[in-house]
Amino acid sequence: MSERPARRGGGRDSKRAARQVSQTKQAAFIERRIPYFEVLSEENLALIEHNADTILEEIGIDFRDDPEAISLLKNAGADIQGERVRFPRGMCRSLIQATAPKEFTQHARNPERSTIIGGKRTVLVPAYGSPFVRDLDKGRRYASIEDFRNFVKLAYMSPGLHHSGGTVCEPVDLPVNKRHFDMVYSHLKYSDKPFMGSVTHHSRAQDTVDMAKIVFGEEFATNNCVTTSLINANSPMTYDDTMLGALKVYARNMQATVISPFILSGAMSPVTVAGTATQILAEALAGMAFAQLVRPGAPVVFGTFSSAVSMQSGAPTFGGAEPSLVMYTVAALARRLGVPFRSGGGLCASKLPDAQAAYEAANTLQTAALAGVNFMLHTAGWLEGGLVMGYEKFMMDVDQANMMSVLLGGVDMSENGQAMDAFREVGPGKHFLGAEHTQRNFETAFYRSTLADNNSFEQWTEEGSQDMAQRANTLFKRVLAEYELPPMDQAIDEALLEFMAKRKAEFPDKDY
Amino acid sequence: MAEEYDDGDELILSELDDEELVAQMHDDLYDGLKEEIEEGVNILLERGWAADKVLTEALVEGMRIVGVDFRDGILFVPEVLLAANAMKGGMAILRPLLAETGAKPIGKMVIGTVKGDIHDIGKNLVTMMMEGAGFEVIDLGINNSVDEYLAALEEHKPDILGMSALLTTTMPYMKVVIDAMVEKGIRDDYIVLVGGAPLNEEFGKAVGADAYCRDAAAASSTGLSMVQQRQAA
Repeated sequence: MSERPARRGGGRDSKRAARQVSQTKQAAFIERRIPYFEVLSEENLALIEHNADTILEEIGIDFRDDPEAISLLKNAGADIQGERVRFPRGMCRSLIQATAPKEFTQHARNPERSTIIGGKRTVLVPAYGSPFVRDLDKGRRYASIEDFRNFVKLAYMSPGLHHSGGTVCEPVDLPVNKRHFDMVYSHLKYSDKPFMGSVTHHSRAQDTVDMAKIVFGEEFATNNCVTTSLINANSPMTYDDTMLGALKVYARNMQATVISPFILSGAMSPVTVAGTATQILAEALAGMAFAQLVRPGAPVVFGTFSSAVSMQSGAPTFGGAEPSLVMYTVAALARRLGVPFRSGGGLCASKLPDAQAAYEAANTLQTAALAGVNFMLHTAGWLEGGLVMGYEKFMMDVDQANMMSVLLGGVDMSENGQAMDAFREVGPGKHFLGAEHTQRNFETAFYRSTLADNNSFEQWTEEGSQDMAQRANTLFKRVLAEYELPPMDQAIDEALLEFMAKRKAEFPDKDY
Repeated sequence: MAEEYDDGDELILSELDDEELVAQMHDDLYDGLKEEIEEGVNILLERGWAADKVLTEALVEGMRIVGVDFRDGILFVPEVLLAANAMKGGMAILRPLLAETGAKPIGKMVIGTVKGDIHDIGKNLVTMMMEGAGFEVIDLGINNSVDEYLAALEEHKPDILGMSALLTTTMPYMKVVIDAMVEKGIRDDYIVLVGGAPLNEEFGKAVGADAYCRDAAAASSTGLSMVQQRQAA
């Protein structure tokens, strides 16, 4: 070593303490330092753009049950036939490029966790929307608000995740028309990372905004993005009034929306990669342009959820090569358009946190990382095509998420990275384990998995022959046990609770 | 204990009582502080401690803790190398004294990879751990023939012969060596430990070794306990 270590290193106790915490530092986002992986030439990307404009011009997009939307679009120059909206070639693109930010900051209540969505950044977000949860102890069951809080806590405790997510699971034990209060409150209370709002009704979107205002302050939340919410196109080529209603609320309040065509290719789009990418572009262009009409400058993210359906059964499949090709293609289209891109995640169709789950999830996570996804929804927890949020799967995906920042961080070409002093010190036929260069760097040189077992067969046997899922089961329980509530001003907490109590009392519980 | 010294005050080892000093030496071994270990050893000797007591209570116990945390993935290889190096520093002071007083040394080991096998990083890690445990290790390097092993046994009279191989094509040579030892009637004079990635418990038994050691930490703990059993017998 170039310098003697401190006279007293602290011995076993301090080392044990240091080594048991994750080495992954909590960051607000991943800064990308490697190139994008692209699968199409400029010429072919331009052809897809041309074809998407043809869809918009010739076939059009339905904006259903929302006369206000229709009139906004009409005034902007779209051709309206009933609910069918046809856009002159180039109209959507120019609306978006005129006012939509290329990247934007989503503020968290802890300013250190405020994240930037877009550009060369990747933000990793938990899975979204599962009605069920699963763990090894209790199996598959309907999710509850307790599960919801648990996943908010696990995401908060996971340094590789930069975002608290939205509907991390659906708390079906609460009435449909009021559960959004408890979901938004859970994100605000049990985490200090940025969060996603409710989209299932325009009034629930407004409640989300109002609750965010309590936490961030009226003025701040009016002028800054403090929530990002998921608006799905009802593919093919349709937006419905529920999604449009939520979109309008968020856009008017300068809050971000992820405009996401939801494609199960073969059923909701043509079976081909190019056809699917074209449709996704057309739908996203229409949705994002509409957001700019509602409120110029409102942040929008170009979303893509792409899976293929089994032609044998009609069931969605995951981790396949074709959706990966779609993702690479659409990521390039989003960069050409100049807006942030959402896709990816640890998608799989497996029922259990098994080899299928791991393979399929790894395929989509890696594709998303290489493609250049900015907002990676569904990074952690996803099982069974999104029907199930898995506790063990969550921990497995978080391990992958931690590692993603290393991959995207690229190659260290500094003098230390070049390591020439190590070659000079060690020479042929020896080993580098004791080299000064190794002593200086070993601790952070390689990503250390939180779950992989690399021990000898014998040691693994002695420790109970546990598979990945069993180790993940132990880990999620340990993380929940170690969870500590992030501090929150008591007055704010009381104001949130008061708001919720008042609003909940204004109308009866309903399950629709 | 460490927290008491975090204020940056220089810690004076000679001002600690015996119990504190030994605990501090466990920490210093753990942290791979060679000079501090040498200083600690000298202080204990000056206070009238017998060399074997210093060895057992301060050094071997300290390295036992290192071995446990290595096995558990708390300490990393480069750190164990530093700890073993600190241990070697202490042993260099104690070894002549142990010989003078006739106290039993921890033990001696001859180690090498078998003929045809040039993969020695695992073997080097075992050497490091054995030295860390207080053994004197004679490292024959790579690619050793029966004759080379037998000559080394003759010359050094170790307690343990260690053989390693990385390949399924070279590991059977361990049996060749052990058979030759049997033939010469010297097999039972030594503890034979074998290791390497393609081996397992069953293979160790089949070739006639005393034990298969799955990794460097297991080699040192197995070696230590087998030597102690022999010495007690």
